[in-house]
Amino acid sequence: MDPRIETIQGAVGCVEEQLKGRKPVAGIVLGSGLGKLADKIENPLIIPYQDIPGFPVSTATGHKGNFIVGSLGGKTVIAMQGRIHYYEGYGMENVVLPIRVMIGLGIRYLFVSNAAGGVSFSLHLGDLMIIRDHINLLPNPLIGPNMEHEGPRFPDMTRPYDPGLIKLAVRLGVEMGIELKQGVYLGDTGPSYETPAEYKFYRTIGADAVGMSTVPEVIVARHAGIPVFGMSVITNEAHDDYGEDYENDGEDVVKAAAAAAEKMTKLFISIIENL
Amino acid sequence: MNPLETIHAAADYVRNKLGGIKPVVGIVLGSGLGKLADEIENPLVIPYGDIPGFPVSTAIGHKGNYIVGDLGGKKVIAMQGRIHYYEGYDMFQVTLPIQVMKVIGIRYLFVSNAAGGTNLSFHVGDLMIIRDHINLLPNPLIGPNIEEFGPRFPDMTRPYDPALIRKAEFIAAEEGISLQKGVYVAITGPSYETPAEYRYFRAIGADAVGMSTTPEVIVARHSGLPVFGMSVITDVAHATDDEEYVTDGEAIVKAANAAADRMTLLYKKLIASL
Repeated sequence: MDPRIETIQGAVGCVEEQLKGRKPVAGIVLGSGLGKLADKIENPLIIPYQDIPGFPVSTATGHKGNFIVGSLGGKTVIAMQGRIHYYEGYGMENVVLPIRVMIGLGIRYLFVSNAAGGVSFSLHLGDLMIIRDHINLLPNPLIGPNMEHEGPRFPDMTRPYDPGLIKLAVRLGVEMGIELKQGVYLGDTGPSYETPAEYKFYRTIGADAVGMSTVPEVIVARHAGIPVFGMSVITNEAHDDYGEDYENDGEDVVKAAAAAAEKMTKLFISIIENL
Repeated sequence: MNPLETIHAAADYVRNKLGGIKPVVGIVLGSGLGKLADEIENPLVIPYGDIPGFPVSTAIGHKGNYIVGDLGGKKVIAMQGRIHYYEGYDMFQVTLPIQVMKVIGIRYLFVSNAAGGTNLSFHVGDLMIIRDHINLLPNPLIGPNIEEFGPRFPDMTRPYDPALIRKAEFIAAEEGISLQKGVYVAITGPSYETPAEYRYFRAIGADAVGMSTTPEVIVARHSGLPVFGMSVITDVAHATDDEEYVTDGEAIVKAANAAADRMTLLYKKLIASL
């Protein structure tokens, strides 16, 4: 048997056992911007990654590495508190393992979120951007023998982000008075931030925001035909010509991100309610 | 075994099977050119699975063979099935069959593939002469340089031979086959391109996109082999922002088949003219 499938099934079995019959409908990847959403999950069951066989040891994952299962917007959800990043040195198979486990658990939607740098000049600190498409500059997570039970060898990527979910989000954004932008997210490896020249490169090829995650997760979900909704919190603005005295103001960034995160949390809950 | 020894061991095995036949042209039969295999006369089939050091063929899918025989009056060696990076093979394995053809003495390399059209004027079923490429795959020459094959920093000013391109255009005009000419960008796949990625490739000057070919061409050019390449356009990216857009699989297969017939004829005539 394919050792990858064995790992996935082992992990799915372990999580399923703890769920005691609960069936999560939506999977949520809590990016830097969406940590607060975890606190809104009712009757939470916390499953640390380190207790799941086959999961990468969490030291390098940083602070938190848990699945949180519970109720949100009246639905049973499973949230990833802490994702696994490629820049930590993990292979792509480890990066997308939690997504494959959620797929194995039967989720019917995937929600992803991240903090991103604004590449488009029309994006500003604290903006919320619906991801309507992506450009992948990370290694493709589907390289290797195809796992036929998950999806086809050459999965279509014409609509990586579900148009129906985007429409729903736009409508709810208007109703709730939350301003939303839309754009293309570009995933690169990091961990060094972009140079001004790289920002310009990304703008030239059509990116609106840049970050170091998300795209591999989306590709794996789309491989399995799961509809995806994604959102970036813009925590940095791009400038082509930084003044020599320019410095990233850390405090401003944190403040703006926190305010945006609150709006994003409300919006995600509302979308999940309306699924 | 080091890389060079692996290449030589495989080449020795193939040479031994050839029993004195000296192929002049190496051909990589991409998705579009499978039919050309049937046109090879007095074929000798050498399965990749029998060749020492070749990747086990299970994951390659259907077919993995060298076919040696006569085409257009010339001795040719054709690769029926290539090894793709997206299958999980490393670049040495991906380009091993090319290295082996080099060692057994081919003097030309012909490559072909099925590709998505990023150029807005392309249509499904178009044939595109590859006049240049953009490599977004790992470079197959990374690692210690094999000095006996070529220089550490091979020139890539003319990856596709201008004389072969002219000849192909001349033959196509005579045969009434219309051709596009453009730049092929290679990416890893295996997921297809998003609409945003199509726009990106267009912005940087690509006319077609696929998941193969450039590593083979780089390895051939490393040794100074003249290369001719062609893409069958099996998909176009024009309408992907349209909400109503659906990929019509059946129409694509039909157009690709018709194009393959024209491409087969062209390759045969071009080889005959060498």
